[in-house]
Amino acid sequence: MPDQHVYLSPSWRDAALKRLQAELTPEKMNHVTTSMSNIYKNCPDGVEHFLFIECKEGKVTRVETGTGEPPQAVFRIIGDYETFSRISRAELGAQKALMTGKLKLKGNLAKALKLAAVSDRLNKVLAQIPTQY
Amino acid sequence: MPGISDPKDKYYIDNPGRVKAIQAGMHKRGIDVYLGSRIRTMSFVMDTFCPWRSYIIIPPEGQPTFFTFVVDALRVGDETWLDGDHVRAYGPMGGMDQVSAITDFIKDELGIKKGRIGYEDGISTYTAEGNLSHWEYTHFKDALPGFEWVNAHDIIDALSLIKDKGTIERFRTASLIVDEGHKAARAALENGGYRGMTETVIAGIAALAMRKAGSVSEWNFAGLNEISSGYRTGLGACTPPTTKEIKAGDPLMLDFHAMFKLALGDHAHNYLIGPATKRQRWHADNFVAIIQTVIDHYRAGTTPGTLAAIMMDFAESRGCGDFIQPACEHGIGLFGDEWRIGAIVNPDLPYWTDQDHVYQENEMVVCAMQYAAPEENIGFRYENDIVIIKDGCEVLSKYPLAIEEIS
Repeated sequence: MPDQHVYLSPSWRDAALKRLQAELTPEKMNHVTTSMSNIYKNCPDGVEHFLFIECKEGKVTRVETGTGEPPQAVFRIIGDYETFSRISRAELGAQKALMTGKLKLKGNLAKALKLAAVSDRLNKVLAQIPTQY
Repeated sequence: MPGISDPKDKYYIDNPGRVKAIQAGMHKRGIDVYLGSRIRTMSFVMDTFCPWRSYIIIPPEGQPTFFTFVVDALRVGDETWLDGDHVRAYGPMGGMDQVSAITDFIKDELGIKKGRIGYEDGISTYTAEGNLSHWEYTHFKDALPGFEWVNAHDIIDALSLIKDKGTIERFRTASLIVDEGHKAARAALENGGYRGMTETVIAGIAALAMRKAGSVSEWNFAGLNEISSGYRTGLGACTPPTTKEIKAGDPLMLDFHAMFKLALGDHAHNYLIGPATKRQRWHADNFVAIIQTVIDHYRAGTTPGTLAAIMMDFAESRGCGDFIQPACEHGIGLFGDEWRIGAIVNPDLPYWTDQDHVYQENEMVVCAMQYAAPEENIGFRYENDIVIIKDGCEVLSKYPLAIEEIS
C-alpha cells in the first residue's frame, strides 16, 4: 500500500499532526492545555521510542516522535510497543490497557481522568493513519 | 465546598503553619519524607473529610501531596486548602496503584531516592485508626529500597494535642449542634411520645435535628447515634441502636454525635422513663453526682490516673463503686482522632492512655463515664467534649446535667 507510514516514523509523525489539527477542534478537545509522552518499550528495533503530543487551549500544537528521553510532559504513559500498536489498530482500548496494567501512567490521575474522553478522541484519529507496524 | 482561608474566621486553622511544624519535627528526627496514612493525620493536615484510604506525603519543605482513592479525589480537592497539583488519586491502573503512584512520586517528583522515611504504625482499639498495614509496609519498602523506615506518628500526635483557637471553636459549635439533637429527642419522647418508639427512630429524630443545625455526619463508627434502653443500658459503652421499643420503667441512654468542620460533638444524656423505682433513682443520682465530681476536678496539671482515683473514691463513698467503670475519659481531636490521651507511647502499656499524662491548657478530651448494673437491668453513660483550662475545664455541651424522669 503506497500511502502507508511506518509507525512512529517522521512521515507518520507529520501525518499525525496534520490529522489531529484538522479533525480535532478546540471544542472537541475541551480547550485543554496539556501534554503527554508515550514511552514505547520492547520495540522491534530494540530501541526505546517515544510519542509526544502537546495541546494548547484545545489545539494540537506539537507531535514529536523519536528515541531516547522524550520532552517533559504533564503525563507519561509507559508500555510495550505491541500494546501501543494494538491500541492504534483499535484492537485494544486505552482504558482497558491501563486498567489491566499493560500501560503505566505517571502523573496526576485525578487530572488524567478528566482527559479520558479527549484521549480517546485523539487515539481514534491516530488509528485512521494508514500505518505499517 | 472550599475550606476556610480567612484568618479572621473564627473557625480558621493555620494549615500551612501545621505543615511547617511537622516539617520542623521531621528535621529534628532526621526524617527526609513523611508518609502519613491515619485518618487523624489526614484531618489534621488536609482539614477536610478523607474517608477513603489515603496517604499524605510530606516533603522536608513546601506543600504536602495527598493521594486518595480516585472516586474521591476531586471532592477532596474542592474542599482542602492544598492546590490541585497536590491532591492526587490512585486507582486500578498501571502505574496508578497505591504503591506505584506514591513511590514514583517520592522518587521522581520529589527527587528523594534514599534517606529516612517516617511512617505511621501502632495498635489501637479504634478500628479505623489507619496505621500502615503489613502489606502496604512491605510493598512500599520494596519499592523504596534506599530508605530507612522510622515509625514517626508521634510527631503529629504531639502537634495535635493542644488545640488551637479555630479547632476549639469548631468543637464548641459541634457540641451545641449535639444539644439540638438532645432537645429534639426529648421533645419526641415526653408526654407519652416514647410509646411505640424504637431506639432506631430516636436516633433518626436526633440525626435530623443535628443535620438541620449543620452537622455533616453522626461520625461515630460504633453505631452513629448510640442508644440503649431497658436492660441494654447495662451492657457497656457500645450500643448501636436497635429496633427495641422503649417501655415505661426503662432507663434510656442517648449518645449523640455531630460533626462540624471535622470537630466531633459527642454528648451522652440519660433518662428514666417513668414510673422510676427508688432504686433506679438512687443509681441515677449516684451517676449525676459522680459526673459532677469528676468535672469539678479537671484542670491543667492533673492526670487521668488522678481523676480516675477521685472518681472511684467518690463512687465508693456513695456505695456504688461496683457499678462505675474505672476510667473517665478518652482522647478527642479532629475526625479520626478518638482514642488515647496524650502523645507519648507508654512502653509499659503501649498505645493505651498514659495514666500519668499531665494535662495542659487547651487540651481536649471527651469526659466519658459508664455506670453499669447489668443484674438490675440499668446503666448510664456520660460523654461530653471538654477543654482543659488553667483552673478547671470548659464543658462544651450545654445540655443540663441531670437524669430526669419523663413519662
